[in-house]
Amino acid sequence: MVECRCKPKGIRVSPAPALQIVPLQLGAPEPDLVRIRDLIYNVAGIFHPDNKLRLLQDRCSRRMKELKVQTLREYFECLTIRPLRQTELNALLNEITIGETCFFRNRPQLEALRRIVIPNILAAKSQLPQRRLRIWSAGCSTGEEPYTLRMMQLEDADRELRKWSVEILATDLNERSLAHAKAALYGERSTRNITFTCREKYFLPSGDKLRVVPTVRANINFSRLNLSDDPRMSLMKNIDVIFCCNVLIYFDLASKQRVIRHFYDNLLPHGYLFLGQTESLFGVSDEFRLVHLPGATAYVKGERTPAGGESK
Amino acid sequence: MISAPLGKELLLQRLDGLRQIPTIPAVLTPLLRYLEQPVEQLDVQKVTDYIAQDKSLAAQCLHMANSPLFGRGQKVESLRSAVLTLGFHHVSDIAMSCGVLNLLPTGKTGMDPVVFWEHSLGCALVCRHLARSLRLPDPGKAYLAGLLHDLGIIVNLWVLPKEFLTAFELAKNQSIPLHEAEERCLGFTHCDSGGLLAEKWQLPAGLIEVVTYHHAPEKASQNAPLVALVHIADLLCRMSGLNYGYVEERQWNLFEDSGFALLAQDSTMLREFDWARFTFEVDSYLDEVHGLVRAIYRT
Repeated sequence: MVECRCKPKGIRVSPAPALQIVPLQLGAPEPDLVRIRDLIYNVAGIFHPDNKLRLLQDRCSRRMKELKVQTLREYFECLTIRPLRQTELNALLNEITIGETCFFRNRPQLEALRRIVIPNILAAKSQLPQRRLRIWSAGCSTGEEPYTLRMMQLEDADRELRKWSVEILATDLNERSLAHAKAALYGERSTRNITFTCREKYFLPSGDKLRVVPTVRANINFSRLNLSDDPRMSLMKNIDVIFCCNVLIYFDLASKQRVIRHFYDNLLPHGYLFLGQTESLFGVSDEFRLVHLPGATAYVKGERTPAGGESK
Repeated sequence: MISAPLGKELLLQRLDGLRQIPTIPAVLTPLLRYLEQPVEQLDVQKVTDYIAQDKSLAAQCLHMANSPLFGRGQKVESLRSAVLTLGFHHVSDIAMSCGVLNLLPTGKTGMDPVVFWEHSLGCALVCRHLARSLRLPDPGKAYLAGLLHDLGIIVNLWVLPKEFLTAFELAKNQSIPLHEAEERCLGFTHCDSGGLLAEKWQLPAGLIEVVTYHHAPEKASQNAPLVALVHIADLLCRMSGLNYGYVEERQWNLFEDSGFALLAQDSTMLREFDWARFTFEVDSYLDEVHGLVRAIYRT
């Protein structure tokens, strides 16, 4: 699970966009739920499309039970005007990301990486003497993401990628998550998406759990890193791909912008940034450009504005 | 492996020789003409009478009227209540959408009619949604443009089924856009053949341009913004999994797209538009499109 990385200093709703997307009105969702959806999107950058509103409602219901709040309207107030609204917002964000961490979490995103992004990067680097890729799982939590990336690389080992050395960096703020990642022992929830072949090849049973095999665990560099630690962030260099899924949602706008500016510098010119499935950088960065891949979106580096991206 | 390109001459020849050229279903032409009148002059009974003439069309319309993609959450049990709750123009969108399905040749064609219809309907909905979100005039016209943009595929299925299938297989096997495979195998694309039919049908100039130039919006002359809108909606659908049943291995950089530049001329605030959120919304209703099309096709 992702822990809160920094305390938001107050709800900052990013400046109202000039154009509001007209709601789709799939069967007219409840207005108060839509208000909560929009609040979460403006504050955390994670969006619940109409077909995921029911999921959001379930998450709210759990919090409402805890707070003994009856209506969504009242709960919206808990998130916006009541004291402790920050705490409540983080509690809801925790509910939203619960269970998000698992092996092969977002298949279309991983397929896009394998079939389009990696070949593009290999082409861009083909003239370089060193055949090396660096992939960074920023906010790796309990390690499922970096291990998934390594398993995918091993699966592709007979293709072009075989000639390349792939370095996987995995960082997180939380020591306990990192310890869990290094132990590489996982329960049913984390491993719910893996195929039978994958289980046979890359996991060993250990009690009622599964442990990742040593070949996958070798050469993944786990370390503690606070994404708000500017000096250390500047040291992350020559990265080809960054995964930062459901991590930035806990940051306020100014902190988010700082992290994103670092990511821009950390990435090589042809680099890619992947966020969570319905996470967006809208209103956060003008430097990254949204690109569409089959079933997924990613960000690539656009022109840096003359002011060095300080425009906001 | 690939037969020599057939060229446009053969297309023209076959198109002229074809007896049962697909036409917009007889019911729809008078209905659409009737709906061109000012709304205050329209009569609910008259509209339902038009649609009710074709039993299967009427049943399909009712099915669609109850989908959350069109509906307002209330159950609609008759054509009359569909017109009353959804309004004249929504009902005409629905009737037109069902009409397009009925244009496909029946029997084995090599292309699953379900995926064709899903793409057309999905694109129509995305066009309308995008037009509304960008506050462009006439979202209804955008819907129709999205619905009909791939008319040429219907033509190809009628006039050159075998040759078209070769192109379709090539596109699937190499994960490339269909029009690129058509160009290689046939020497023309569904844009060319669709344009010919659209002219034969005497569709409005804007729709002819959409059908002809939706893969090259910079070539459009009169209706560039509409063509660009369809071009973008088409790409969004294809990237989101509504693409004739296969995945195109492409990366699409919207901000470098010729269609984006054209649309930006017409909608100055386009650069401020939240494309990420729009994409997530589109993804969410494509599931609905899958469900709806499969449900109707089974009935």
